[in-house]
Amino acid sequence: MIPLELVTKTLAAALRSGGDLAEVYVEDRTSLNLTMEDSKIETALRGEDRGAGIRVFFGDLVTYAFTDDLSEASLIAAAHAAAAAAQGSSYVQVIDLTQRQSPLEFPIVKSFDSMTIADKTALLCRADEIARAYDPRVRQVLGGYQEVNRKVWIFNSEGLHVEDDRNIVELRASVVAQKDDVLQRSTIAFGGQKGLEILDEHEWDTEVRDTATTAVKMLDAKPCPAGEMTVVMPNGWGGVLFHEACGHQLEADFITKGASAYAGRIGEQVASPLISAVDDGTIPGRRGSLRFDDDGTPSQRTQLIEKGILKEYMWDLTEARRAGRATSTGNGRRESFRHMPMPRMTNTYIDAGESDPDEIIAATKSGIYIKMMAGGQAELAKGDFVFSATEAYLIENGELTTPLRGATVMGNGPKVLTEIDMVGNDLALDPGIGTCGKGQAARVSVGQPTIRIPRVMVGGTA
Amino acid sequence: MTDYLALVRDIVTQAAARGVEAEAIIMDSQETQIEYGTGAVEKLSQARSKGLGVRVIDGGRVGYAYTSDFTPANVAKTWQAAVELAAVASPDDYRRLPTPQPIPDDDLEIYDPDFEAVSTEAKIDLLRRIEAAVLAQDKRIEMARQVVYGDEITHVYLANSNGFAGQYDRTSTFSYVFAFAREGEHAVEGIGIGASNFFAELDPDSIAQEAAESALMALGGETVPTQTCPVVFAPFVTAMLLGTMAQAMTAEAMQKGRSFLIGKLGQDIASDKVSLMDNGRMKRGLASAPFDGEGVPTSATRLISEGVFENVLYDSYSAAKDHQISTGNAQRPSHRNVPRLGLSNFYLQPGVKTPEEIIGEVENGIYVTQIMQTGGIDPLTGECSMGAYGRWIENGELTKPVSGVTLATTLPDLLKNISEVGNNLRTIPIMGMILAPTIRVDNVMLGGKED
Ligand SMILES: [Zn+2]
Repeated sequence: MIPLELVTKTLAAALRSGGDLAEVYVEDRTSLNLTMEDSKIETALRGEDRGAGIRVFFGDLVTYAFTDDLSEASLIAAAHAAAAAAQGSSYVQVIDLTQRQSPLEFPIVKSFDSMTIADKTALLCRADEIARAYDPRVRQVLGGYQEVNRKVWIFNSEGLHVEDDRNIVELRASVVAQKDDVLQRSTIAFGGQKGLEILDEHEWDTEVRDTATTAVKMLDAKPCPAGEMTVVMPNGWGGVLFHEACGHQLEADFITKGASAYAGRIGEQVASPLISAVDDGTIPGRRGSLRFDDDGTPSQRTQLIEKGILKEYMWDLTEARRAGRATSTGNGRRESFRHMPMPRMTNTYIDAGESDPDEIIAATKSGIYIKMMAGGQAELAKGDFVFSATEAYLIENGELTTPLRGATVMGNGPKVLTEIDMVGNDLALDPGIGTCGKGQAARVSVGQPTIRIPRVMVGGTA
Repeated sequence: MTDYLALVRDIVTQAAARGVEAEAIIMDSQETQIEYGTGAVEKLSQARSKGLGVRVIDGGRVGYAYTSDFTPANVAKTWQAAVELAAVASPDDYRRLPTPQPIPDDDLEIYDPDFEAVSTEAKIDLLRRIEAAVLAQDKRIEMARQVVYGDEITHVYLANSNGFAGQYDRTSTFSYVFAFAREGEHAVEGIGIGASNFFAELDPDSIAQEAAESALMALGGETVPTQTCPVVFAPFVTAMLLGTMAQAMTAEAMQKGRSFLIGKLGQDIASDKVSLMDNGRMKRGLASAPFDGEGVPTSATRLISEGVFENVLYDSYSAAKDHQISTGNAQRPSHRNVPRLGLSNFYLQPGVKTPEEIIGEVENGIYVTQIMQTGGIDPLTGECSMGAYGRWIENGELTKPVSGVTLATTLPDLLKNISEVGNNLRTIPIMGMILAPTIRVDNVMLGGKED
């Protein structure tokens, strides 16, 4: 994208007033978005975004400048802007840039070009036909297709030279059903870091029909009761609870500031011995996977919690340097060249336990089973979380009975982690469409086996 | 300096020669972002960036492409990509670019001419003052975890093949802080935000005070018994509720069955204390502009007037469908976005009572300063549930802190049950630009512990 000679020159310009480390981050992103609503393909959108960010570290100060113009004059001007806040404490030389390869293979079997745009729009239109044909109460179908290719090149004055090529695909259909004044929505969506082979891994037509079935079925759902009760969370998507309520608290920026409940607690028992948790950016095909993170650090598998014992936090380069650590854990991520990296999760999950998921429900006398959720939110300092369920069922005497709507589950993440009393053997990651918002958007995966929380607050209108 | 207005005109002329309608936008901006923490600047970022977005409508079919590379070959490639993409979209006769209308030339006061003269040192000083003010509020405030300043000078150039060509400049600044409070085992954060078109209007003290109050109100606390009770929402929380409400009040949401208010136009849907406005021409409004994202003059729209649902927001597409005129609400956060119907400066008409008076009238209820919700407030189903923090109110006095409770109602009930609207309108730059006061809502289901 940029000749190495110009990269070296830019790094030197960024260090002209001193600094400990300079970095050049180059990105070339292309995307295609198709959206369908009201049985029409509303928009076909293609975008490209190209640019570079120059970062300079001076002790604890980090300065940044970016440009969407990759000419020599613009790169040098950005480097000078980043150098402008220099304190001139130390001077380093730019070391020769030798490219380092990743051992990770993220194969793309069917490239995005292996299908025409017209065929991609046909997938969305078919979802519309299938859902509307299922039942007259289906009144709207929203469909979306997205493909993104993001190439990044990262260089720094210590000789770092790495590249990553990230391909993200995503397909979704949301079905809205109505009966009198009651509206219910159900969504099918999947994606990942892969090519169009993802379509062969799914039965799109069947999955859309099942989604329509759920939306119509939920029209007869009863309002959810409020109060403290036992909650069984599903495998896969259910992992959003760990992501929101505990994962963010294990990100190094909250740790180094002392703002996290887990700060200074490595080696301590912080969760039930049934709980082991992992962040793993190396899993092929997963939405949060990276060969190198956006600091240029190789991605890795990090055991966060092992049998309830806190093992490690998630670090980026900035926080690792601040804490005097030799290495980061490869969790430095940025939304684009317009942003500085920060510690973020990749694919984060609670590891498999031993219980049969059916037995978990059978062992529950009364409570609710959450089948689908609409995302969640956490209050970081307290570690409290809340999420709402789009599909939930009452558990009575060990069996799923009445469908429930309007259920909200609220609790304290670190506390819930110590209380979970059953962990299933059915570990799964989510379908691959999750995006985490922490000031910047980052594509992530969450996961877990079926788990049971013996007592947690459920909000509802009944 | 390139004449970008000439460039967008040129692009639409060339694309239109292919027999399509075309629209081009260039946004050229300069931005600064500074993060400050524990007595020093931690991160400082500066940049100038630009982007081009081209929308093509070919027989009612829409194609869109964007780029930040302005070399002539790439610009041509971009509008050609938009022309080609239009071929795969579905035709829709209502998809037309608007015909140009005169743009009123009153000064909306959205550009601070002194902006470029503000030094980085002055911006850092503002952060220093916010941090100091946060720490001075109360000894339980342990730190200002993140103190952030950001600004942007944006130049917008828009042209379409119907002959519209326009340009405006806008400055905007914002600053926010997370106050981190701790008492014994309990820790909590509160946010304070300020935003304005003018640097001089950012007030470090009020930002700091809002953050500290929000944190201290939510510090510690325990759950209360499950019950139905009145709730007083602080402005920040009101803004979050209004933002979701707004999504249900666009013509698009009505036409596409995405609103709990379908079929309710002209009806009494809220208490008579409720008047909701959207004003894209508000003086010094952060979302104000002379024309919207597709070149239509912005306007003021009364959505709810003393409880009666009077109007919805329109862009040119939804207006054509309803045989109405656009309210100028096509939003365009960046060149990467197709114009999209949404709110501009959206606000609840303030009442006469102070927040203290409103709290003073509650016998038994909760004052909510923070909520947690995602997907829990649904503009489609009208369902509304959230986790809440704040203080218990007893005989008009704030008493013990409350946490770990859920609030559940529906948006139709919430609108009907707004029994007080405060006189304290605050600008909250979330989900668009929302101006919100303290409100009281009766009959909310509070989920807590069993009696
Ligand atoms: Zn997250």
